[in-house]
Amino acid sequence: MRLPPQANELIDRSREVVFSFEGKPVRAFAGDTIGSALFASGRRVFSRSFKYHRRRGLLCCSGACPNCMLTVDGTPNVRSCVEPAHDGATVEAQNVLGSLDHDLLSIVDKVGRPFTPVGFYYRTMIRPRRLWPLYETFLRNVAGLGRVDKRRGRTTRYDAENRSVDVLVIGGGRSGLAAARAAAADGDRVLLVDENARSFGEEPFEVVAPACALGIYEGGLVPVAAGRLLLRVRAGRIVVATGAVEQPLVFPGNDLVGVMLPDGARRLIRDFALKPGERAVLIAADDRALSVTEDLERAGVEVAATVDLREHDPTDIFAEGRRGLLRAVSIDGVGHDCDLLLAAGAPQPAYSLLAQAGAQISYDADRGIFVPGGLPAGVEAAGRVAGEVGPLLPTRACHGDGGFVCICEDVAVKDMKRALAEGFDSIELAKRYTTVTMGPCQGRLCQRSSIRIYAREQGTDEAAIGTTTARPPWTPVTLGLLAGRTHEPARLTAIHHRHVEAGADVIWTGAWRRPHSYGDAPAEARNVHETVGVIDVSTLGKLLVVGPDAVEFLERLYPNRYSDLKPGRVRYGVLSTDAGRIMDDGTVARLDDDRFYVTTTSTGADSVLGWFEWWNAVWRLDVEIVNLTGALAAVNVAGPQARDVLAGLTRADVSAEGFRYLDAREGAVAGVPCLMLRIGFVGELGYELHFASPYGEYLWDVLRDRGARPFGLEAQRILRLEKQHIIVGQDTDSESNILDANMQWIAKLDKDDFVGKWALEQAQERGPRELLVGFEMANGTVPAEGSQIVRDGGPSGRVTSSRWSEQVGKAIGLAWLPPDLAEEDATFEIRVNGRLEQARVRLRPFFDPAGDRLKS
Amino acid sequence: MNGLAFLSPGAARAEDGFAPRPASPLQRALEGSTGLRDLSLLGKVELRGGEAPDDVEAIRITPHRVLLLCEPERCAELLETTSGLAIDLTGALAGIELEGEVLMRRLTDLDLTRLPAAGKVAGVQAVVTSSGGGRYRIFFAQEVGHSVVEAVRDLQEGLA
Repeated sequence: MRLPPQANELIDRSREVVFSFEGKPVRAFAGDTIGSALFASGRRVFSRSFKYHRRRGLLCCSGACPNCMLTVDGTPNVRSCVEPAHDGATVEAQNVLGSLDHDLLSIVDKVGRPFTPVGFYYRTMIRPRRLWPLYETFLRNVAGLGRVDKRRGRTTRYDAENRSVDVLVIGGGRSGLAAARAAAADGDRVLLVDENARSFGEEPFEVVAPACALGIYEGGLVPVAAGRLLLRVRAGRIVVATGAVEQPLVFPGNDLVGVMLPDGARRLIRDFALKPGERAVLIAADDRALSVTEDLERAGVEVAATVDLREHDPTDIFAEGRRGLLRAVSIDGVGHDCDLLLAAGAPQPAYSLLAQAGAQISYDADRGIFVPGGLPAGVEAAGRVAGEVGPLLPTRACHGDGGFVCICEDVAVKDMKRALAEGFDSIELAKRYTTVTMGPCQGRLCQRSSIRIYAREQGTDEAAIGTTTARPPWTPVTLGLLAGRTHEPARLTAIHHRHVEAGADVIWTGAWRRPHSYGDAPAEARNVHETVGVIDVSTLGKLLVVGPDAVEFLERLYPNRYSDLKPGRVRYGVLSTDAGRIMDDGTVARLDDDRFYVTTTSTGADSVLGWFEWWNAVWRLDVEIVNLTGALAAVNVAGPQARDVLAGLTRADVSAEGFRYLDAREGAVAGVPCLMLRIGFVGELGYELHFASPYGEYLWDVLRDRGARPFGLEAQRILRLEKQHIIVGQDTDSESNILDANMQWIAKLDKDDFVGKWALEQAQERGPRELLVGFEMANGTVPAEGSQIVRDGGPSGRVTSSRWSEQVGKAIGLAWLPPDLAEEDATFEIRVNGRLEQARVRLRPFFDPAGDRLKS
Repeated sequence: MNGLAFLSPGAARAEDGFAPRPASPLQRALEGSTGLRDLSLLGKVELRGGEAPDDVEAIRITPHRVLLLCEPERCAELLETTSGLAIDLTGALAGIELEGEVLMRRLTDLDLTRLPAAGKVAGVQAVVTSSGGGRYRIFFAQEVGHSVVEAVRDLQEGLA
């Protein structure tokens, strides 16, 4: 079946490769593609077409068209003409019911065609509307490409690799090689990518092949698909040398098996030593294509007729076949028996990547081709893609009435005409309506023809019709390659593994993983009230604000005052936006005159850091802001026995008098230097210890040894709710301000200025629209967070937090209420599971309202 | 209230029967790995607006900020003696040293011919330096360290 050895053949006849096709073994040579091996085995029908299930055979042999698509090792839509044959591969036909040779769905072509013009499903299947899901399922089953095997799971590894080079050359033909060699000679780092599997000689630059550039993105980023590796190439200069693509002619029978592009036949002969047919007719429009006769003759193919379209552009070409295989062609009434018809119009520069990069595409009416121009900086075109395709003349849009414009999507000439008749008169609309250029070839083989047909039908020229927008990917690419390796970095505290070892239920909170509980949240909360607990609060945002203007900086940022905060003291702070809305909250500890230690919420840490840095840049104060969030681990030791535990671990004075509520102290705890803050988010006597993160596990273990039992977020949420301490983002939203959140005491409107002051003044003048207050339920039902407050049958507020508190013995919560309802003892109703439940306003903390335990 | 000793892992002392032991955040993630060196406990000092001493490796982060890398024991002296604002970030940054340019190219889009540089490595912000001979050092926030190591080990597997 093979020709004698060819001068530059790609196959290695000394090495055999065996793969299976439809369950039967196929013998190939190393260097064969799956397509060339199947052709060598005698196969001519490679696929069934998208819509009509017509037989299709090799056309381009360059990976441009859809005709050779097969499922290889479970991956659908593999262009077998460029896919290297490998031992043990399992190759199967796709989009057929039955087999390639006997596809039951070809009935669509035989009897259904008159009823299935472009867009038929929008018209004929629109009623009754409720049946559309059925229609859709049916249509998707009978039309299309290969199927993804959803049961296969992740069987294939895909990777991505970044490359930085001075020059990227796309295309390894003559011009591409010349450009790459010249750049390398200038000392540039050069990478050349080529979509063919051919071998390159010793070159002074790196070559990746077979590999396809998928697009040109901003900043010279070019993704290149190289098998299962996606290269993300960033190049200072990009040379596009993608050459030109032979264009199929449009005539009745132009999709028969045996109708090929001249270059396709040439590849079969030269690269794979295959005889493409016995008796050929050649119709072409340029010297390069016409020169294929030499290859044909050498391969022993009889050339029955040759037509140079520049000399004679026939009115009618008509190809006939039997069972989908070409038998004869008639050219202006003159018939020729043949099994191979090599037909191509003028080669079209493959400008798509250039157009994506921003090049202007214009129509060269003298030669009948589209050419790129106005290239953006850093992008060059070399060789045939730049329009160097020799002497040409425009040819007819169609040779005869009929034939396919787009073989990918089975769009026929009549479909284009129909779209036009229906008013889709721009080429962009035609693309969307008929799907011409939207198939696997991405317009390589049909863009110019479709434009030309539109121009002829509208009595205008190609320049007036213009091209459609070029978008990546230029070449079909597997989803696996685009998705790559998934990797979602989670933030773990230095103590994380101890929580996991203790069996904690770990949940996402923003980017962090945190223990929700260690199995029994109410017991954890009880333990804090009764003895001593410890919670990992390393996730708190931590900022150091340093400099002579540090006080001034904080005074301007926070609504409350910091100039009178004494070193060694801590104050609660709420950050407002310019619009007076609550942004974040936390504590500010004054370490000395010009050093402050600021904590933020866990999820707000990044935005507060950005906020501080932004204002620092605006105000140009003498302040440095250092993010210490990850540098420090932090734990909160809380409960009536917290002092005893701490006293056993430090030489520092932790007596009630020596270390008061809202004091900040530095001192070693179990040998580890700590910043100790006496604060009480959870309402009991408590100390927050902040220390270098490498000691996280060590200090946690020491505290556990001394009797502190861990509690998680759920216990913390119960405990803080008993104190009516808010959680920004849970109890507040983007509309909430400090005054409405019932924290009037914190807004020092007598200060010169602070971020959000004007807005808060307006809010004060206007009066509150709603107020955030505590409530308890009459009957112990815990309303879901987000439940509606109902008044006179209508919504008038919402629950933001709610829990059952064992300590209080009640269901408690926080809610936004109309101001006139927000008074101690006022009653209101909450809709719970469709029923209205009674609740009562509680303005003071449910637990330890005077703070005696907290400050003890 | 005086210094910022609570920031310095090196300031911990064995006293009163306590023996503090620092742990690398990568300790578990690196178990059973090959070709990865843990740099997490290496001394790291950020210097703002001061002059870096000549005998310390300095990576300039911005015109105003420099990251000093040193033996852990050297931190205290650097914090004490350098001009400008010096902050001990030893606990903030984890780090690894690894070998292989291809591995690095799968981890980061930084231009490896222009190091040191800061940018994304395995999806997180990092500082990368070259230690020569195809070896690289990567420093990143310790809280995402395990994730970086996971990514590195996965890619090593893909290249094996």
